[in-house]
Amino acid sequence: MASSSLFLRLPKSTLLFLSPLPLSTKHITSFCTKPKTQTLSSLSTNPSSPLRTKTQSHAPLENPTLDYEPVIGIETHVQLSTKTKAFCGCPSSYGSQPNTSICPICMGLPGSLPVLNSKVIEFAVKLGLALNCEISLRSKFDRKQYFYPDLPKGYQISQFDVPIARNGFTDLDLPCEFGGGHRRFGITRVHMEEDAGKLIHSSNGDFSQVEIKNMNSFSAMHRAIDFEISRQVSLLKEGKSDEVIQETRLWEEGAQRTVTMRKKEGLADYRYFPEPDLPEVILTEEYVNSLGSGLPELPEMKRRRYEKMGLSMQDVLFLADDFNVADFFDAAVGHGADVKLAANWVMSDIAAYLKNEKLSITEIKLTPMELAELIASIKNGTINGKIGKEILFELIANGGTVGAMIEEKDLVQIMDPNVIEAMIDKALAENPKQLEQYRGGKTKLQGFFAGQVMKVSKGKANPVLLNKLLLEKLNAKS
Amino acid sequence: MASSSFFSFSRIPAYLSRTTLKRRFLSSRCSPFVRPPDVAQLAESARISLTANEIEEFGPKIKQVIDWFGQLQAVNLESIEPALRADTGGSDNTRADEPEIFGNREAMIAAVSSYSEPFIKVPKVLNKE
Repeated sequence: MASSSLFLRLPKSTLLFLSPLPLSTKHITSFCTKPKTQTLSSLSTNPSSPLRTKTQSHAPLENPTLDYEPVIGIETHVQLSTKTKAFCGCPSSYGSQPNTSICPICMGLPGSLPVLNSKVIEFAVKLGLALNCEISLRSKFDRKQYFYPDLPKGYQISQFDVPIARNGFTDLDLPCEFGGGHRRFGITRVHMEEDAGKLIHSSNGDFSQVEIKNMNSFSAMHRAIDFEISRQVSLLKEGKSDEVIQETRLWEEGAQRTVTMRKKEGLADYRYFPEPDLPEVILTEEYVNSLGSGLPELPEMKRRRYEKMGLSMQDVLFLADDFNVADFFDAAVGHGADVKLAANWVMSDIAAYLKNEKLSITEIKLTPMELAELIASIKNGTINGKIGKEILFELIANGGTVGAMIEEKDLVQIMDPNVIEAMIDKALAENPKQLEQYRGGKTKLQGFFAGQVMKVSKGKANPVLLNKLLLEKLNAKS
Repeated sequence: MASSSFFSFSRIPAYLSRTTLKRRFLSSRCSPFVRPPDVAQLAESARISLTANEIEEFGPKIKQVIDWFGQLQAVNLESIEPALRADTGGSDNTRADEPEIFGNREAMIAAVSSYSEPFIKVPKVLNKE
């Protein structure tokens, strides 16, 4: 589970350069209403030199923004799937009754001391490595002090100036509908902290940083960003740059706009100081390397691998997007399935079924091995494509094997020309009127006759052979 | 003043006492290195209410403590490696990600003055930040 903050800034001057655009989403509601005692571990990532985009990059913007280039930064809070909390052994049973999974440490009772959950370090290092960061072998915790109802200690244990990972990047493939291509996005830092409330970051120099809250979906974030860019640019163009102030604004989903929430005077003073109750976090190269070598195939590597297999970027992006889908595809190919055909089946028929039935690919009864078998059976001519599709649906819904199904339902393709010819003769004899019309010029009726033969053969006639022979016979007696 | 300064140096963490320190004792109690405290603002940040009298009384006392620490700024740290923290323990003080149920939740809840099951009522938090 993750919640994201974006930060949005436009320069007060009218220079044509990019500045980060910070927006911040509303935190998960259940988090805020959670009783103060739930302190869950979380990692925070910040973008470094944020994505520098041309104005039209992620959504069509109106002309007024052409002189300005927005820069967007994203801060993401990721709740870690640990069994216990960050600094005490209470089970992190999210969703349980408030104030039940508690102890003196997370209740902030006097005299209690935090003890770091080693799993948190592991996750932080793994994330840092996955984001190509420099891992700090020595980092520390700090107290971030403020008051909030669900912050029992009156401070949040976080990492201020020496986070566990810094200066990373992630390479992404942009979707085809946004122009495609590769782009590298900077990652400023990854740090560990207990999450007990909202985070508000200080602004930077001569920019007025606007924080935006209350966006509950990525599409809302999109629209809020667009609105905010327009709003700020309009003000700047009208010479009202002093009205672009450092503040927090609320995104109104109904009205599709941001409104001022409160005006901040100066920065929040968190009075950071090193957490005296926790020692330095010291890592060894061996530890970091062992975690690194245990990382699964990262999305970027998967995409490059699929590209090398000869798949189109559209296929690559689809298949690599969901690791269950990728695993299924990889397994099918592993069983000998033709790469392109396997991709096609997964992306079209199987995906359509999943979408219709609202299932995940792990929930269907079709196995990757049977998909491979199906593809092979069509390829070697045992069954034709149409029969293949029927078998597919049967296998997805009810499982079983391709071989058994072919046998049970007698689905073997008819490849014997004599058999097909006999069926064709019958079809022609039984439909003299259409035959006459065909001979009179209505050549489209070939399809009609093909359909008739298919019906009689219960769909098993090989279409290519059928049409070849059919055409011969239709054109023969003239 | 001299004796209290000596006393203060004995409390410096280990890595500092290892090297030769040039001790420069400040003649005045006002350290030029450290800003005088804004007691009213400090109290506000800590949500502690002080009367005007208390602010006046505490100001100089807090300043004295700060100045006392301010003397550390006179120490020559040129040849010293910056340390992240005072303790260079090296002991692994982490725990495994295994649940440990605290056995006396009832006592904690019982000690809460305004418990309104299942929530704990707290004074209104007015955040200026």
